[in-house]
Amino acid sequence: MQQGGGSESEVTWEDQQNINKFGRLNNRFHELEDEIKAAKELNESLEDASNELILSDEDVIRFQIGEVFTHMASDEVEARLEKMKEEASKDLERLEEEKESVLAQMSELKKILYGKFKDSINLEED
Amino acid sequence: MAASSVSSSSVVTERRGIPAASFVEDVQTYLTQSGLDVNSSLSFLQERLHQYKIVEMKLLAQQRDLQAKIPDIEKCLDIVATLQAKRGSDEALVADFEVSEGIYSRARIEDTDSVCLWLGANVMLEYSYKEANSLLRKNLENAKASLEVLVADLQFLRDQVTITQVTIARVYNWDVHQRRIRQAQAAKKT
Repeated sequence: MQQGGGSESEVTWEDQQNINKFGRLNNRFHELEDEIKAAKELNESLEDASNELILSDEDVIRFQIGEVFTHMASDEVEARLEKMKEEASKDLERLEEEKESVLAQMSELKKILYGKFKDSINLEED
Repeated sequence: MAASSVSSSSVVTERRGIPAASFVEDVQTYLTQSGLDVNSSLSFLQERLHQYKIVEMKLLAQQRDLQAKIPDIEKCLDIVATLQAKRGSDEALVADFEVSEGIYSRARIEDTDSVCLWLGANVMLEYSYKEANSLLRKNLENAKASLEVLVADLQFLRDQVTITQVTIARVYNWDVHQRRIRQAQAAKKT
């Protein structure tokens, strides 16, 4: 966000607040991208784990909780994995929704700010 | 989003030791009132910006620590819950644990009602499952609450950074504008 050029348009407190809000949203957007990436990875790992579980014919599985691997019956592991998968995909959904809403708010603010400052303001990333 | 809560931030002068950046309504008035010329006001603002950036780094480090701590506590809760569920089932909990890096041994945890929690500072205390659970939950809540405050601090700080950056750009632009006016006037005279 930089203002260039020598033309002086009046910057009001309201404009400043819009710029601040845009900055916050932009920050959140980047955080969300990271969080979404991590959530996707988690979803994939859990999916891989349950596929492996189906293929394996062991009755007792070593399941990591915290630092230790507990010996657990495979059906219990399956139940746990299902629950974790459910939570992880809900989490991912929630993050994607937030991202959409952040993007929508950002484009609203862009309209307002570009409308007022034309090319004296730059809201794009390099 | 707590966007509306900052609408009154023109009145807020600081937040947890972070001074607020004052919004400049009019550059000319600002310079006259502060008694600064363009260059010294720019270097003052740059200095401020630099200080904000240092605080931001500090807060970001704290945020990372907390963000790592929360899943740690959650893991502890998970294992306590697992122990609790096994209790009274006559079955011992068998677990492979790391003795040293890359070396694992097997433990049988017989029917028991307590776990030891590492409290830090070389202190470990034995708790019943119930107590351990509630202690860990409390820690988790505290960590989450601190994270929330920290995120709000960071937002406040970033607003101040943005205000300062915009002010720098405006002072600079104003200066360029003034120079142009002077040049135009000088050109007219000749």
